[in-house]
Amino acid sequence: MARQTHRLDVNGRSHEIHAEPNRTLLEVVRDELRLTGAKEGCGTGDCGACTLLVDGRVVTSCLMLWPEAEGREVRTIEGLADGGELHPLQRAFVEHGAVQCGFCIPGMILAGVATLERVPSATRAEIRDGIAGNLCRCTGYQKIVDAIESVAEAPA
Amino acid sequence: MTTIERPRYNAVGEREPRVEGLHKVTGRTVYAADVQLPGMLHARLVLSPHPHARITALHADAALAHPGVVAVVTADDLARASRDGSNPARGASNRADALFADREAVFAGQPVAAVLGESYADAEEGAELVRVEYEVLPAVLDVEAAMEPDSPLARSPVSDIDHTEEDAHVTIDVRSEEAEGRATNIASHLSFERGDLDEGFSRADLVVEQSYRAALVHQGYIEPHATVASYDPATGDVAVWTSTQGQFHVRDTLMRLFKLPETKLRVVGCELGGGFGGKMIQSATIATACALVAGRPVKLVFTRREDLLAATPTPGSVVRLRSGITSEGDLTALEATVIYDAGAFPGAPVAAGTLLISSFYRWPHLRTDGYEVLTNHVSVGAIRAPGIHNITHAIEQQVDAMALGVGLDPAAVRLRNAVRTGDEMASGKPFPSIGMVETIEAAARHPIWTGREAARARSTETTRVGVGLAVSGWLGGLQPATCELMLNSDGTVNAVVGVMDISGVNTSFAQIVAEELAIPVERVSVSTGDTRTAPYAGIAAGSKTTITMGRAVREAAVDLREQMFSIAADQLEANPTDMVLGEGEVQVAGSPDRSLTFRRLAAITTGFGSLYTPIVGKGAISARVQAPGFTAQLAELEVDTVSGNVTLTGWATVQDAGYAINPLSVEGQMEGGTGMGIGIGLSEEYLYDDEGRLRNAGLLDYRMPTAADTPDIDSVIVEVPSEEGPYGARGVGEPSITAGGAAIANALHDALGVRLTEMPATPERVLRALGRVAD
Repeated sequence: MARQTHRLDVNGRSHEIHAEPNRTLLEVVRDELRLTGAKEGCGTGDCGACTLLVDGRVVTSCLMLWPEAEGREVRTIEGLADGGELHPLQRAFVEHGAVQCGFCIPGMILAGVATLERVPSATRAEIRDGIAGNLCRCTGYQKIVDAIESVAEAPA
Repeated sequence: MTTIERPRYNAVGEREPRVEGLHKVTGRTVYAADVQLPGMLHARLVLSPHPHARITALHADAALAHPGVVAVVTADDLARASRDGSNPARGASNRADALFADREAVFAGQPVAAVLGESYADAEEGAELVRVEYEVLPAVLDVEAAMEPDSPLARSPVSDIDHTEEDAHVTIDVRSEEAEGRATNIASHLSFERGDLDEGFSRADLVVEQSYRAALVHQGYIEPHATVASYDPATGDVAVWTSTQGQFHVRDTLMRLFKLPETKLRVVGCELGGGFGGKMIQSATIATACALVAGRPVKLVFTRREDLLAATPTPGSVVRLRSGITSEGDLTALEATVIYDAGAFPGAPVAAGTLLISSFYRWPHLRTDGYEVLTNHVSVGAIRAPGIHNITHAIEQQVDAMALGVGLDPAAVRLRNAVRTGDEMASGKPFPSIGMVETIEAAARHPIWTGREAARARSTETTRVGVGLAVSGWLGGLQPATCELMLNSDGTVNAVVGVMDISGVNTSFAQIVAEELAIPVERVSVSTGDTRTAPYAGIAAGSKTTITMGRAVREAAVDLREQMFSIAADQLEANPTDMVLGEGEVQVAGSPDRSLTFRRLAAITTGFGSLYTPIVGKGAISARVQAPGFTAQLAELEVDTVSGNVTLTGWATVQDAGYAINPLSVEGQMEGGTGMGIGIGLSEEYLYDDEGRLRNAGLLDYRMPTAADTPDIDSVIVEVPSEEGPYGARGVGEPSITAGGAAIANALHDALGVRLTEMPATPERVLRALGRVAD
């Protein structure tokens, strides 16, 4: 397939990408930009390991063709920390023991970020719904929910 | 959380966040699929669509003519991968050796060929162009029918059974006997006997007879199997980056298959994206064979579909039980038949399952038979406590039914009959220190259990509420272990181990070193070396890593401390036995001003012309006594009797950890295993069509629990010290998966008054049990 050229804005930087248009956003982010935090766990949008934020919304990037992301703001796990300063959710995941094998964690944290941006004082049930598209097999979700809850604002 | 007073330490016993956590939350951790090498090819697999077929021809010409396709590798090509020209797949009896179907495909999804392409797309397009001609053979799909003497054979007869999968997880003194000549599908059989069954049943006031089925399930790790293998024809060097629970197991297998000298082979076990017993070797053998044939690096990452079809999920089973109880609640006799569907290659955990189904309670009379049966389902491997969720689902419903049948409290009947330290297992071997009783007692005190009447009272016409209890345990494995520990020039220490960290063990090892050297955990680093740089280590499986490698780490720290004491005593003109540890220094007891810092000790043992040898601690331990872990789990649930949907509303997992070196990690293991048990109990199963093809080879239809399906889990750690584990620790990784399905089944009985004898308890099965849908 003939390659196409588009610009992708990823983590605040603009990249000119030259690639086959039938490749997924996940493939291009991983293989062309070498941002390998996003993972492929199923390739069918069922596990959430490939979760990225596109214009602030959760996207399973294994199902999105990369040219569709042109003109939008793509955020990956690598862009979440502010320099050396971790995002509060990243710190909470470590401190609460929410991280085990880690494979789902980049997607899970981004889903948690999107959940709290949408519902800043999310309850445990709202947190569970917010991350229901992200499978984790190590934790039973207990400490993941604990970590996200610890960062949520107290209900007004 | 803790129910008895804990011994006091400084570093162990604390809730320590994982040492590698920061790398994981920033996306920097490198997993096998993240590895890219110059000149790397991509491999895609061609899978058999038939559960049983003869391969009569394979046409690769169209694929090879496709631009970007470099090679097509089949079983016939494996002789080119082997240094001595032998073909490892020829007549292979074990799944690890059978890289590709060799003339006969024995399950739907079995790899038949790999296509190597310059890009992933090239390889994928090439794989679609490979044309395989099959002569379809009768498929053996029902495990009970497969045991009949006149059943067709699932596969051509094979020899030796490889017990690696089972041995990795559990050390038991019994071994199933291989059926002679393998003229039937029964791959192995074993039995246990005690007392006189007739006498046992004659003493019973109630005899319960029931059959139970458990589905074939997948371990469900989120990272599919992945390997990058490289081969340099000029030097003969082979390097393999892979996702495995046992890098030395991969090394030994590749050496054996391809006759590679150990000096030319390096296996790097990458950070593992979940294993749970299922990540041993499947992608490493194929990727390495492809690299050896092509003379270039090859990446092979299973798709999820391939991982469900062609990895090693864990067996379905049929368990038939007949058992007796007196009206006082004494168990009198157990007659059990345990049948595991091994799929197309031997490897089901029949010895462990058959032993443990008859060993959790004091049965005065018993007879247990276990069978491992070959079918044309996917070949199976281990899972957390392999085989035990199957038998627990049966025996714990049976005990529940007997207790309720004579009008007694199920927790009380369990306590009355539970095995204690020193009691004999069905094999005659005595249990080492165990905490089954303490575990049940803690569950019986839990608010979910004591509040079950109030919970039931919430029931309405169409929403029934129930609470269930189930108990189980796991013996765990044993393997020797060694650790090296180096004193750094800044007074910190580095530990090197060869075992994969799948559960936070490196964090626990850092705590152990910190404890023994009286330094903060931050001054210890633990590195997982590869097979060239680390001392030999076993597979991270069998709940054994902390209790074996943890002992080696502790010995290494003690060794390092004694070397420091000896050198400091010499320098300070004191007796080594008078030396004590201060804060990052060695002191003469009672004279803290006479001291040497760790940093100074490092300097005087590494400087030019030093009279002392560098300080390197070594710990090496042999396997001795197991440290079994028991769990008791409580499920509270609501059943919608119109839809059959089950909603979990409360959960407690009680587990004996012996001593929780890192309670944060122990809870993580308990919660994770509980989550898997919930999936096994409610929603996960391989669904085959009548032709033996998997219908749900994807994560939408192979349904693992999401966060929204999972209740809050209350982890209750019980600490009955083991004889062997460091600080009394027990194996904690596996017991947590065992009891969930049974606890759910008992809660469903509590809610509905009917038994769901088939697991998982899907809405359809719930409605069937209620008579709302016809069979």
